[in-house]
Amino acid sequence: MIRLFTGIVCIFISSLSFAASGSIPLKPVLIDLNNKGSLQRGAQIYVNNCLGCHTLKYQRYVKFIDHLSLSKEAIENNLIFTTDKNGQPTKIGSLILNSVNPDSAKEAFGVMPPDLTLIVRSRGSEWLYTFLTSFYKDETRPLGVNNALYPNVSMPHVLSWMEGLKQPVNLEKDQYEYVVEGTMTDKEYKKSITDLVNFLAYVSEPAQLDRYRIGFWVILFLAIFSFIAFLLKIEYWKDVK
Amino acid sequence: MVWIDERLPVSNFVKNHLSQYYAPKNFNFFYYFGALAIFIFILQIVTGIFLTINYKPDAAQAFASVEYIMRDVEWGWLIRYMHSTGSSFFFIVIYLHMFRAMLYGSYKNPRELLWLFGMVIFVLLMAEAFMGYLLPWGQMSYWGAQVIISLFSAIPYVGESLALWIRGDYVISDATLNRFFAFHVIALPLLLFALIYLHLAALHTTGSNNPDGIEIKENKDENGIPRDGIPFHPYYTVKDIFGLSVFLIIFAFVIFFMPELGGFFLEKDNFVPADPLKTPEHIMPVWYFTPFYAILRAIPDKLGGVLAMGLAIFVLFFMPWIDRCTTKSIRYRSTTYKVLLTSFVISFFALGYIGMSAATPLLTWIGRFFTLVYFGFFVALYFTSVNEKTKDVPDRVTMHD
Repeated sequence: MIRLFTGIVCIFISSLSFAASGSIPLKPVLIDLNNKGSLQRGAQIYVNNCLGCHTLKYQRYVKFIDHLSLSKEAIENNLIFTTDKNGQPTKIGSLILNSVNPDSAKEAFGVMPPDLTLIVRSRGSEWLYTFLTSFYKDETRPLGVNNALYPNVSMPHVLSWMEGLKQPVNLEKDQYEYVVEGTMTDKEYKKSITDLVNFLAYVSEPAQLDRYRIGFWVILFLAIFSFIAFLLKIEYWKDVK
Repeated sequence: MVWIDERLPVSNFVKNHLSQYYAPKNFNFFYYFGALAIFIFILQIVTGIFLTINYKPDAAQAFASVEYIMRDVEWGWLIRYMHSTGSSFFFIVIYLHMFRAMLYGSYKNPRELLWLFGMVIFVLLMAEAFMGYLLPWGQMSYWGAQVIISLFSAIPYVGESLALWIRGDYVISDATLNRFFAFHVIALPLLLFALIYLHLAALHTTGSNNPDGIEIKENKDENGIPRDGIPFHPYYTVKDIFGLSVFLIIFAFVIFFMPELGGFFLEKDNFVPADPLKTPEHIMPVWYFTPFYAILRAIPDKLGGVLAMGLAIFVLFFMPWIDRCTTKSIRYRSTTYKVLLTSFVISFFALGYIGMSAATPLLTWIGRFFTLVYFGFFVALYFTSVNEKTKDVPDRVTMHD
């Protein structure tokens, strides 16, 4: 009976396949939240390039002290560039906001740039990595760029100063040639995007830093407890015939 | 103790329901799930209380307050994952608990009322889960509720007004969120508590069935104790502690290592705040509703679909009268019953899978086929069970493990 049950569960789990929406296959990206250097570089790229439009409105700067191994001063000097409503530098305990005016954003892009705190949880890290490496030159678009994963996206290629600008040779086969050089090589750019995605994967669920670590000990405890409970059950049930 | 017993029958209660409450000695794997269901019920209440401390039932703040719990509340993420994982495990446990009753005929005379109370608990639990799912106020919360409540509008004449009355607005809105919060945290849990009490009271009146389907009370020794019975405490308390600890290993594994369970327990779209102007590409209910959702979609007519879905749940209430075979346990029943029950289980899983997939013409037809199998089970059971060829049931229970 137990075998039957586990069989059913196995069939159920084998159907755990999710089709991803999008026109091109997603590229794999290695997420490693223990790599604090990568998370720090990702945070730096984010505040320098993304925060101008995209808030992280559920996340607080102060969490970077523990989670990114940064000092309070390092955060205040290198990651906080905004001011509060009194014109004072934003306090470290604040949420990560910007000063985009929704009306002018809509006028410029047609939509309000979305908050990105949970982007990795809703879209997945592979989606985000593929999206950020799939911008290409397209003169038919108002901003001169298009995206292979998200066709006709209204976002400009903000990181083109790093990547340069590429033109498709064969879109389906993911083949491009660079028409404008950036400050980085292709490899360096991909590494930077990995850092950025890694950072956003952390921001989407900071609890990941705790739960794997604690989970190991909880399950170890429960395993020992189960073993003792099993012995206790055997002992009591000896006299049941 | 004497002082208390003169005023409150504590010792008597312990005697009647634990130390001298006799349960059959041959319970197997499937008999863990009743106790586990009670455990999860208590866990949901306790974690729920902690969640309400920081949750804000307000359309403008609900989503952010859940993220606040996940990030800024000490251990908030753990409490939230226990609650969200707990709801899915509640259904896993309840489905296995109900399957057990079908395997061993636990709904049959004299336990019909026990089954009916259980079915009411099941329906209340579905309402509880449905309303709770709106509270995080994500895209899937919003649109899932929108779809399900709009089903009521299929009812002729009163449908539209009924849907409006349930929502308190023309669309899902702050008003809906507030009333669902009220139902989720107090009204339904109170009802569930009362029904669980009745369920247990009925259980302790008739005593438990067992994998052999033998009434142990019909074979008592000279002291009036069932020969095949053992005191619930300590035998089943220690056994259930072991069962619970193994269950907790699996439960903890999901909480700590895969709280979303690949989108089954927490759907990806629910990490996007509810947006009434943007319909998600693919709306699906949480996995535990998908078998019934597939039945709804199998019928081309909206009202027909709603009726079929309702009937799929309603028909289960009548199991004690649909199954007319007096032999309880599947161990002594005919191959026909085994084939029927197996096809019912397969159709339940198949419908579950179809209900969570995007509709394609092929899947819709497969869904229709399995909807027929699902209802066919009850029809076939009604006619085959009356003159079923069964094996002889032994006088005493058998021990396997």
